[in-house]
Amino acid sequence: MVERLSLGPASVSELAKPLPMTLSAVVQHLKVLEEAGLVKSGKVGRVRTCTLEIKTMAKLERWIAERKRFWEQQYDQLEGYLAQTAAKEKDQ
Amino acid sequence: MTVTTATFSIERVLNASPARVFAAYASLEAKSAWFKAPSDIETLDRDFDFRVGGKERFHARWPGGMVTDFQATYHDIVENERIILVYDMFQNGKKLSVSLLTLEFRAEGGKTRLIHTEQGSYLTGGAEAVKSREHGTTWHVDNLAALLEGREARAFA
Repeated sequence: MVERLSLGPASVSELAKPLPMTLSAVVQHLKVLEEAGLVKSGKVGRVRTCTLEIKTMAKLERWIAERKRFWEQQYDQLEGYLAQTAAKEKDQ
Repeated sequence: MTVTTATFSIERVLNASPARVFAAYASLEAKSAWFKAPSDIETLDRDFDFRVGGKERFHARWPGGMVTDFQATYHDIVENERIILVYDMFQNGKKLSVSLLTLEFRAEGGKTRLIHTEQGSYLTGGAEAVKSREHGTTWHVDNLAALLEGREARAFA
């Protein structure tokens, strides 16, 4: 759904069409995405159109990337520690 | 506040046996040698109780004045095989995220494949909050980046 919305705004039925889900299941999923601030929707007449909240997505992606970078850095230090202690064990 | 969930994983092949990798997590002395901040920080609290139900805490003040708090509880420990913990990350007393972290140590020849899988709930602002607190949120994310990169947090301006 997020992938489809990344191409541009879409109506609920357009989003539901390629998915092996009922329309009400799609609506439920959209509700979760909307509550998380990832998707915005508005009604024009009888058609509800959804758009991706790029700013929130970008922020989340950056957030996750930073958290990942933090752990990568710790593991670099773990590698260094393991190399150091291996050398010590050899010396003994 | 709205919660956003996300999962990511990291894999590393480490040049050591699973027993040595596990040992690097299992004592405060070994863990402190690598699980540390890249810059000079003041440690406010450091707890380490490595057993199921035990807690770990790393509460610190950074050079810019920012206070971060890593609070974890160990949920599952299988010697030389895996460690599962849940950790909260706080910044200046505010909770940023709650994560379930699964660490697996798989023997691969004489080496170890470390698999880090993190399922997190990120307590970011909601759609309406993002608009009204854009500035504040950006500042928070920037400071989180600073924290993770070891840079100094910048003042709210």
